[in-house]
Amino acid sequence: MRFIQSFLIILITSSSLVFSQSPSQSNEGSVRIVQLLRQENSIRRYPDALPSLLKMLNEQSNARFDTDPLFINTLTDERLLENPILYINCDEQPNLEFPQEERDALRRYMEQGGFIYLDAGIKASFLGQDLGHSYAAWEERPEVKELFSKILPEKTFIPLGRDHDLFRTFFTGLPKNKDLEIQTEQKRLPETVLSFVEREKWPQATYSFVGIKVKGRLACVASPICAMGWGRDEFGAWIPPISFRVRESAENFDQNLKLASFSGGTYEVTREDGLKDIIYSENGQRPLWVQEPNGKWRIFKYYSGEEISNYAHAFYSRLGMNVFLYALLN
Amino acid sequence: MDYQEAIGVKMIFRIFLFSFFALLVKLNAQVPISLNEVTANADSDVGDQNTTIAIAPAARSSEEKTIERAQEGLKSTEVGSRVGAAKLLGKYRSIKTSILLISALDDESPLVRRAAMVSIAEHASNGFPVYDKALAEKIYSKLGDSDVEVRREVSTMIPRIISPMRRSGMELIEINGRKVYRSVSSAMRPDLYKMTQDAFLDKDAIVRQNVLKYHTYLSVPLPLLSLEKLLSDSDLGVLLTALDRISSSASQPRIVNRVKALSKHANKGIRLKVVAVARNANSYHSDYRGILREMTNDSDPEVLSMAAVELARFGERVPGEVVGKIKNFLLGVNGLSTQVTTILYTVSSLGVDGAEIYKALTEHSSSQIRAIAWQRFINLSEGWRDSSVWLPATNDPDPKVRKVVLNGLRGQSNNLSEKQLGVLVESAFSDVRIFAAQSLLDASQSTVESLGFDLLIDEDTIVRSTTIRAMSARRVPGWLTIMKRSLLDTDYVIQRSAMDGLLGDRKEGVPVLIDYISKNPQSRISNLAKIELNKIGVQP
Repeated sequence: MRFIQSFLIILITSSSLVFSQSPSQSNEGSVRIVQLLRQENSIRRYPDALPSLLKMLNEQSNARFDTDPLFINTLTDERLLENPILYINCDEQPNLEFPQEERDALRRYMEQGGFIYLDAGIKASFLGQDLGHSYAAWEERPEVKELFSKILPEKTFIPLGRDHDLFRTFFTGLPKNKDLEIQTEQKRLPETVLSFVEREKWPQATYSFVGIKVKGRLACVASPICAMGWGRDEFGAWIPPISFRVRESAENFDQNLKLASFSGGTYEVTREDGLKDIIYSENGQRPLWVQEPNGKWRIFKYYSGEEISNYAHAFYSRLGMNVFLYALLN
Repeated sequence: MDYQEAIGVKMIFRIFLFSFFALLVKLNAQVPISLNEVTANADSDVGDQNTTIAIAPAARSSEEKTIERAQEGLKSTEVGSRVGAAKLLGKYRSIKTSILLISALDDESPLVRRAAMVSIAEHASNGFPVYDKALAEKIYSKLGDSDVEVRREVSTMIPRIISPMRRSGMELIEINGRKVYRSVSSAMRPDLYKMTQDAFLDKDAIVRQNVLKYHTYLSVPLPLLSLEKLLSDSDLGVLLTALDRISSSASQPRIVNRVKALSKHANKGIRLKVVAVARNANSYHSDYRGILREMTNDSDPEVLSMAAVELARFGERVPGEVVGKIKNFLLGVNGLSTQVTTILYTVSSLGVDGAEIYKALTEHSSSQIRAIAWQRFINLSEGWRDSSVWLPATNDPDPKVRKVVLNGLRGQSNNLSEKQLGVLVESAFSDVRIFAAQSLLDASQSTVESLGFDLLIDEDTIVRSTTIRAMSARRVPGWLTIMKRSLLDTDYVIQRSAMDGLLGDRKEGVPVLIDYISKNPQSRISNLAKIELNKIGVQP
């Protein structure tokens, strides 16, 4: 299966890109990702992320990406139309308000076959200004919604189903010990964490993505921040460390959490099924617990450590590679 | 549902806030928060899609009651209840909850011990670390737990519990009925010391890696035999960490041999790490240099290149064949990565060979690589003396490449011939023509006269204004006429350049300016000119 996909990738990257490849813009025969950076001197979130991911793509697939993203600071930059994929880390932008001409350019880009990946285009608002959190909400962030209501007023973001091709373009399933380069008998995650990850957090290596189709083609996707899981240092070790937030239950939690002392605020977050979770969070602290629509109460527990971080990085990188390869294939 | 972790080591410093801080948190935690405060907190984070729901205070118990109930839960005969209680206690930070959780670390069920340890870690990461030495030692003692998840949690927490563990002080003991004060050493308890030594070779790779990473905080030395074994570890993470820890034993032949063996490891990251280690340990044993030499034959061009440039940094001559491989590697890369950047910059240490590599890279498809290559090539070959070296760079399609090159040439290049300057004047890029205009300052008088007028009619305002400034500075024949006409230009930038030029010559220039002001008193530039003339004591 992987061979067939790789074969397709070779074919598609070499012959059928709708965008012309200017030698000045990309390495010969390779695809260059355009990255929006509206303020060149601003503090970058995960500057190593995208180059590391593109390097991994080159190493692990037959696709050829230029590992230098092409930075543009305006969407009217003519180089945008020369390259098929635009990556925007929404957390890196000063805001998501664009003048009319840039909005028009973005629409034109999608209509002409361009693909936009809005990383951090989903952000559960209980996170406030706190960056570096990836939380599976199933709704684009309000600024993205506002922007696209002006660009494509006739369209809305639709959640991508767990069976969407994007999640299995190249890698399928969650990372196993072999993928993590650890011994077969080694526990890759604590039991409760692994169980939650496999059943609820990232079932079949999927995540909360929403997308917009243009002319019948998925032209734009938004996800919670994934770039934090793409970076590697020069020796191949993952950077930066990532921790897990998992939901856990225990006996009598439905009663105990309902009655437990609490002095914070509550926030609604849209779930995959469209219903709302109620998140209980105290100011300045990480969320405490959640009341789910079925009346179940679960507590948030926080796990950190090498194995957690390695697993998260492996997942996000495989997911990121799937997204970029999907963009090429479609 | 993940988050980027704050660097755990920083937490160590928080631990110094001792009992006062803990007491303060405890007191704060017990102060009931009014409904108004609750709403204010929630509103501050509310976005469009959020709804703040007021919590009815009556429906919930006090923190004291909640903790009491959890305390009862910990005594339950049901494992599930004890697990639930341990999880819940992680949400309430106080000395009492810490002690309850630490006592749960002796539970017979690993599920309870895991839940308790995760909750203790949660306290610490929320700014409430355990500060009592005995309690910290109790937590640390679980490094010998039979359950791997508990051991992993403890080893991850080492930076957060190390400070109280290493605290010295006084304790009151009773000897034959007499109360006696005696000092408590900061040294680790012997049983914990032994446990740490054993943990270096724990069955679990994550525990091994964590203990390796943090053992220096604990002041527990890494035995030579353990290091040797760890350098043969099957886990890549352990190997990378062990390689980072060889400094104290780098001179030992057994370690040198292990590093040598790792220089042929199947994993490229490990081999790259060996290059870094061999470079750093070079002063401890002569064989490290030999390891680097052998690695210049590595099958991976990146590893080979790293090894070669490190040798060159030591002043060793790198064989031509290896230089060729470095060149081919750099020409073939798909853009800059951290490693490529390191190699690219250190190619300078190859001397003349390095200059040749940079020359080849000036035609690389990556503009970032071209920019670095041009800059280094011109510097290494003293190319600023010879325009044939750098002139091709002015044709580079990427403005950033041209900018780097032209910035490097400013102040270096001088006396360009008419032919050379003519090439710049004919350039399609305005930044190059601006450089040409600036170069008029150094050019021969005949060249200025010959090419200056072409630049004066350039479509780009900056080119024209720069030319005006250069011509006024050079006082070319007819310059006063040029300035006079330029003052009549509609572009303020041009007028300003002409004004500045005239102000520089009191004898001939200033009268021309005064004449212009008298004829064009309402002009925008006239106002500025009057101010500037006043500054030099001339009343227009």
